[in-house]
Amino acid sequence: MDLETVMERAGPREFGPGDDLPEKYRKAATRMIQFHANSEVMGGYLDKTFTRKAPSLDRKLANTAKVQDEIGHAQLLYRAAETLGVKTRAEMLDELATGDGKFLNCFHYPVDSWYEAPMIDFFVDGGAMRRQATLKSTSWTPYAHAMDKVCFEEGFHVKHGESILRELMNGSKATQERMQETFDVWWPRILQFFGPTNDESVHDDFAQAVGLKTATNDELRTSFLNMYIPKAEKYGLEIPEYPRLYERDDGTMAVREDDLDWEEFWTISRNEYEGSKEQIGSRRRRQDAVEWVRESLETWESSAGPTPQTAD
Amino acid sequence: MIWEVFRQEEPGDSHEHVGNVHAPDREMATLFARIQHARRMQTNSLWVTPRDEIGEVTAEEAAFGGRTDKSYRWAMTYNDIDASFAEEVADSESKQREAARKRREALREEETDA
Repeated sequence: MDLETVMERAGPREFGPGDDLPEKYRKAATRMIQFHANSEVMGGYLDKTFTRKAPSLDRKLANTAKVQDEIGHAQLLYRAAETLGVKTRAEMLDELATGDGKFLNCFHYPVDSWYEAPMIDFFVDGGAMRRQATLKSTSWTPYAHAMDKVCFEEGFHVKHGESILRELMNGSKATQERMQETFDVWWPRILQFFGPTNDESVHDDFAQAVGLKTATNDELRTSFLNMYIPKAEKYGLEIPEYPRLYERDDGTMAVREDDLDWEEFWTISRNEYEGSKEQIGSRRRRQDAVEWVRESLETWESSAGPTPQTAD
Repeated sequence: MIWEVFRQEEPGDSHEHVGNVHAPDREMATLFARIQHARRMQTNSLWVTPRDEIGEVTAEEAAFGGRTDKSYRWAMTYNDIDASFAEEVADSESKQREAARKRREALREEETDA
């Protein structure tokens, strides 16, 4: 299939492993899904910090369940990316360890307090779910199938995250103030979650032309703001004055981009931020620590041969 | 040789198991599958695979979904939170509620049988 045909046919779940697709499509899809898979891994690693910080057994249990879900999502997504035939799962995981693999900006900031849990579990996950819901209609079928399962599970994460926010904002005045301080720090990062405006985005045009992406950064950011600002306010959080938000002529919300720190954003996108190194490094060390498990699995797999043997 | 047949109704759907056919090789299996499973039903694609190649684990050997209370991992548990503000969150919750209902039913049947 040539690119022209791909663009003509582009639509929800239009292409699959049986199609002969041009390299440009397969590379763009790999880049996008690998980024998504990496983000699930790094989000999971970040989130596991909250298991220790969680104030009750219920919260600890829910948090471990969530981390387990995120790592499961990564597995699904690496499979979906692998089917494009550009990179193997092992290659993608190696790239994540060496610092070549890219992932979401919000997961480059190490966390160390329970107050940060709703930032990740409610706002970031809520934003991610907005995007993921639109990806159920992506043109790469294995990706869309992965989104079906991911979206099924994510409802619990977002509701649990909101439940934490609600609990903290019903706490003492000191608790509420700390929550507000944490929110002030995270809010600009959350706004950058959807990337720069469409004109600045590097990969958008092609991904949309071939149906990989079905909504623009601007559309997603707008709908996120319209849904999540009222939620923040409902629990008594004040939206920081900066970065300034404004209403466009068509009634949608937008951010004054000049108020955001894009230098930090682009440093992060190159994995060169201080936090990037810390997060990538700690995940790599944990990955190394369980190398023996993967080795023994591989030894078993290669010794088993084509006909399955019984365990002795 | 027995071949299990999986049918996909529309492009983009998952392939779902619909039955099996008796055939000497893959080519014949696809032919029989077409005749038996795609003649009347709307079909976009069929898969056939030798039955021997399928691994199985049943509810007798494994406790699927576990038997311990894991309500903390369901969206419905957080019932002081209103999911309706975001379509995708509400959608996830209603699907989880349906899955939980089915599992409860299955457990109840199991208990009645025992």
